Amino acid sequence: MGDAVVKLTDVWKIFGARADEAMAAVRNEGIGKPEVLQRFGCVVGVQGASFDVPRGEIFCIMGLSGSGKSTLVRHINRLIDPTAGSIEILGQDVSTLSDRELRRIRAQQIGMVFQHMALMPHRTVRDNVAYPLEIRKVSKSKRWAISDHALGLVDLTGYEDRLPSELSGGMQQRVGIARALASDPEILLMDEPFSALDPLIRLQLQDQFKALVAQLKKTTLFITHDLDEAIRIGHRIAIMKDGVIVQIGTPEDIVMNPADDYVREFVQGISKLKLVKAHSIMMPIEEFKATDERSLDDAPRADENADLDQLIDLSVQTYSPVIITENGQDIGVVDKARLLRGIQGGKND
Amino acid sequence: MTEKQDQIKVTAASDIEVNHEELDASIREFAGPNGDFYVIAFHKIHNSTGALPTTFNFFAALFGPLWAASRAIWGMFWSFLILEIFAWVQIGRGFWGNPGADLLERAERQQARVQDMLERAAEAASQDDVDRFTTLAGNLQKAAEKTLSEANAIQSEAPAIALTGLLILLVVKALQGFIANSIYEKRYSNWRIDHSMVESGRHMRNIVMGVVLVAAIAPLIIFKFTVNTSFAFLDAFPEEAVSQVLLGEGNGTLFAALAGWMEARIDAAALAGGDVFDGVVATVRAVLDGLTLALIGSPWPVVMLIICVTAWRSAGPRVAIFTAASLAYIALLGYWAVAMETVALVGASVLLCVVIGIPLGIWFGKSQRAYSAAEPVLDLMQTLPAFVYLIPIIAFFGTGNPPGILATIIFGMPPVIRLTALGMRGVPESIKEAAVAFGASRWQLLKDVELPLALPSIMTGVNQTILMCLSMVVIISLIGGGGLGKEILEALQYAAKGPGLLGGFAILFLAMVMDRIVQGAFRQKR
Repeated sequence: MGDAVVKLTDVWKIFGARADEAMAAVRNEGIGKPEVLQRFGCVVGVQGASFDVPRGEIFCIMGLSGSGKSTLVRHINRLIDPTAGSIEILGQDVSTLSDRELRRIRAQQIGMVFQHMALMPHRTVRDNVAYPLEIRKVSKSKRWAISDHALGLVDLTGYEDRLPSELSGGMQQRVGIARALASDPEILLMDEPFSALDPLIRLQLQDQFKALVAQLKKTTLFITHDLDEAIRIGHRIAIMKDGVIVQIGTPEDIVMNPADDYVREFVQGISKLKLVKAHSIMMPIEEFKATDERSLDDAPRADENADLDQLIDLSVQTYSPVIITENGQDIGVVDKARLLRGIQGGKND
Repeated sequence: MTEKQDQIKVTAASDIEVNHEELDASIREFAGPNGDFYVIAFHKIHNSTGALPTTFNFFAALFGPLWAASRAIWGMFWSFLILEIFAWVQIGRGFWGNPGADLLERAERQQARVQDMLERAAEAASQDDVDRFTTLAGNLQKAAEKTLSEANAIQSEAPAIALTGLLILLVVKALQGFIANSIYEKRYSNWRIDHSMVESGRHMRNIVMGVVLVAAIAPLIIFKFTVNTSFAFLDAFPEEAVSQVLLGEGNGTLFAALAGWMEARIDAAALAGGDVFDGVVATVRAVLDGLTLALIGSPWPVVMLIICVTAWRSAGPRVAIFTAASLAYIALLGYWAVAMETVALVGASVLLCVVIGIPLGIWFGKSQRAYSAAEPVLDLMQTLPAFVYLIPIIAFFGTGNPPGILATIIFGMPPVIRLTALGMRGVPESIKEAAVAFGASRWQLLKDVELPLALPSIMTGVNQTILMCLSMVVIISLIGGGGLGKEILEALQYAAKGPGLLGGFAILFLAMVMDRIVQGAFRQKR
């Protein structure tokens, strides 16, 4: 991961008038969150967060409200200054930037999308999208062209001259995404962008967003309180609790090997259909042949990387089990009993 | 069947019994001393379904307000203290007061004048005079006798008054006895909600306070109203005597000394800051002169046309017609020049209010500390009666139109400051954050986000300011301000009803036209 676009090293944020004293006490005495509140009247927002995000990755930060995820992401464009630790974006330490450089980085390198859209009600859709360019003093004709292009990316062509209040919630959030994309930034910060939308629109926007980011290759930090969303969108997921990052891993990692009870509890309700692959639930083919009399003559075949969803599709068409192949070689078998167990969460007898 | 029902009833009753223990303990905790009595009393209140109280608190009846004080029910204390004192005053008047004293005194005076008349009659030279004085004396004699008989009649009513007083006292006492427990139960209910908000139990401190209050109030009042010839020092505050004690004899009153001192200070300050005050007046005068020149210097058809077209463009044809009619009224009655002077005065005041007020409002909207500091000043500017600050204005800035504008600004500026600050604070944090996240500087944030979003509120503030300035320009005629206000002031001084009303309508139309035009303009902007 030498190509880290965003790199956080041991970032702490303590809110309150005596934050520095509290930080020193945390460093020297190792006191915890409740003690900091009691002794210094300070609230710990983020505790020692470290992670790297390589170019083009969608990195999800998942946690319940109050877990510090929004606070954490606001350190990256320094809407919040850290109490301790360092934040680098594109190899540059943001805490050393002057005000002018910081504003330049914000306007050129970082696009941000907010939970409550935060569009300016007095400006048209186009002027909202063009605002980051306007700040950079791009000429009007240029910024209109760019913002029309960005609106095209999110399927909002034809709404350029409307006011935000004339648009539905889902459309407003697409305007928000277009605004974040308008200055063609390296990094996208998404602060629970789809939380305020209804479930169907949310699904649509998630798919649209995923496709868009894959195409544009933006490095994305995506905050959500919804593990389903994190799994659907993220390449990697960080789970936060009380300001601490509990676990970082790929969606399958997190579902199959939760780091602690807290993560396990979260993962329990998650559908495994798209996450669990055939190789992790199959029975080796030799073992099957030795113990089972069922014929495999007209059994369908599936690749070892097929997920449960695909296995179900194959399995409902036939009475016989499904043969699992690796590079064309038969290596295992999944019968209906194993499939059902797999759906339950990979329990094997 | 009936047996079974009885059984069910018995179980239900026992359940209630269990709840009572907890309740009783809580009532005892609340009541403190004499808890058992209140447990029984509150039970009766809780069990009764009728509107009338069924309990009687003997101590409340006997001690009256003192009981209420001991239980810290101050509302009841004050109400019944007043009622009881009223009853005692009646009793006092009946027993030792002199209800007919006024009339007796008058009868005596009349008697004396009869004597006077008779003497004059005796001294009179001519027979005419003798007859006249004798007749007068006779009439007066009759009047005196009538007054005397009235006095006696009232005097004979004294026992009746005393009896009425006694009756009132008894009713009040009984009333207290009956409602005391109900009121105390209500306090108990409130106490259950929050122990720290409602005082419970009986405390020595409250009893002492009650006794002191009763001792200080009751005797003096009863004395004053029953004994007609009371002490002079109870009738009026002896400020002259106090002044003498404080300042020494022959040095005048406290008021005179203080007023003299302040006058000297103000004169000194006006002299010391003369250049500054002159500068302020000059600035205001420059603004006013510019506006006056534009409105009165320009030919009247031009000004009229511009005002009508403005009304039409900003608020539509109906307002334009109304504006034209109002201007016609003003012009036809010969108010054109003075009305335009008023418009210039209002315009200059509003202009200065906006130029000073909006930046201040922005500052107060951004800085909570500045706003906290300014809030009392703003309150003072609005609550202080206009007449009061006209005096320092005269002292520092003299009389005439510019000082009048300054007074108008003091009165008219708070709304625009307040509403600008309010609008600035009402800008959603999320939108501000978004602008900052996209690299906006403080100036860009203000210009692109905060001001546009606060604009409706700011405009409301400007409109309020215009109306307040308009009402104030009438008052500034008192310190030599001109315009329609001066016409009305003159009408007022000579009680000229016709001219006053005509001038009043001219101001009314002016105010309505300005309000319509400004509101129409704001609505268009939105």
